Amino acid sequence: MTASILDREHTVAAPGYNRYLVPPAALAVHLSIGQAYAFSTFNLPLTKLIGLSHSAPGDWDLKQVGWIFSIAIVFLGSSAAVFGSWVERVGPRKSMFTAALCFGGGFLVSAFGIHLHQLWLIYLGYGVLGGCGLGIGYISPVSTLIKWFPDRPGMATGMAIMGFGGGALIAAPLSVMLMDHFKTAASNGVLETFVTMGVIYFMYMMIGVYAVRVPAADWKPTGWVAPVQPKQLVTTANVAVDTAWRTPQFWLLWVVLCMNVTAGIGVLGQASPMIQEIFTGRVTPAMAAGFVGLISLFNMIGRFFWASTSDYIGRRSTYMIFFLLGIVLYSSVPTLGHIGSIPLFVAAFCIILSMYGGGFATVPAYLRDMFGTYQVGAIHGRLLTAWSVAGVLGPVLVNYIRQFQIDSGVPKAQAYSITMYIMCGLLLIGFLCNFAMRAVDEKYHYRGSTS
Amino acid sequence: MKARLLVLWVVVGLPLLWGVLKTLQNAMKLFQ
Repeated sequence: MTASILDREHTVAAPGYNRYLVPPAALAVHLSIGQAYAFSTFNLPLTKLIGLSHSAPGDWDLKQVGWIFSIAIVFLGSSAAVFGSWVERVGPRKSMFTAALCFGGGFLVSAFGIHLHQLWLIYLGYGVLGGCGLGIGYISPVSTLIKWFPDRPGMATGMAIMGFGGGALIAAPLSVMLMDHFKTAASNGVLETFVTMGVIYFMYMMIGVYAVRVPAADWKPTGWVAPVQPKQLVTTANVAVDTAWRTPQFWLLWVVLCMNVTAGIGVLGQASPMIQEIFTGRVTPAMAAGFVGLISLFNMIGRFFWASTSDYIGRRSTYMIFFLLGIVLYSSVPTLGHIGSIPLFVAAFCIILSMYGGGFATVPAYLRDMFGTYQVGAIHGRLLTAWSVAGVLGPVLVNYIRQFQIDSGVPKAQAYSITMYIMCGLLLIGFLCNFAMRAVDEKYHYRGSTS
Repeated sequence: MKARLLVLWVVVGLPLLWGVLKTLQNAMKLFQ
């Protein structure tokens, strides 16, 4: 494959190209990088590389291994912010190819780290290199999809970003299967699994590289006419990335995303112990694992459902629902725990997690409404720094407040009540920022050529 | 074009369907 094949000008679709070929190309990338959400399946095996059945002296501990995922998420946000303009310039094919190299290569470097038992090589491999693959891969297809689906941008980006949620559903059982397959008397199979996954994910992402196309500059869906009178909060102008982040709208959206993600990510990370502690003696670890699976499924479904819904009811209204319904549901959790209703508790968290996923999937279309299509991918990349912040803030809030409550003598079953009310406070901040959203001032509009 | 469309959707749809089914199997434990 020569460099020219990867260039944007070689990916312009011929007349008559079916635009529904683009979402599966985006899905191939997002289903792969969504593996990150299932990385925890490797945590315990990575602490038993020497002892195999138990942690032996010299084995890494869980705290050290936990940093791999944290580094990857930090590099996801920062690489999306740093490389967003580059992704926009070179087009989806070259950026998807780079993401495949980084993500697949990250697994291989990490496998080498396992072979040498050098943790820093795994931090560098999966954390730094893989994290860059995550960030570049995440934003690669977004602006392309928005350009292919000007009539349904929420649905199109929701479909791709749904893949990021779905990737974990595939990777979790796949990782366990591969580790079981490669397990021998001398190895717990993690090294071989990393090599296999690196190769599989690289090849799978290459399907997206091969299939992706950008529309011609003058292309429009058949029969679609751009609205002459734009809706409120849907611009027909464009804002450049370096201007966008100087607007109040960018920072309002940053807070909106950060608050929505903080509330959801804290719960997602603590879901298993939380349900076991709130319903002590009634929920087994196996049932708790089922709960985690179920809310992950709703995280995925919510991405497509809410983003598609936002095409009809508008982005701001969609986020209003996230925040208002979220406040109602989070504030009802302590009561549901107190009355001992497991089905209602589970239902509340399924809806909460659907809105967590929905927040991720609706934001690219929200950005397009506010800043136009010109550099929406790069602006999206910069906005994802909110994810990195929320990735630290959410788990810290849930874990530390729980521990503080327990240390203060509060029974474990009630240790989450304060956390839930704090989440309501965060959602209220998000609600106010979303409520304050207005169209971007004309002085920020880009006057140059956008072709 | 239609065959290519079908193949691409199957290539991404099948692994996703497998992952969803595995997750649902796991989730059923919650109600047992």
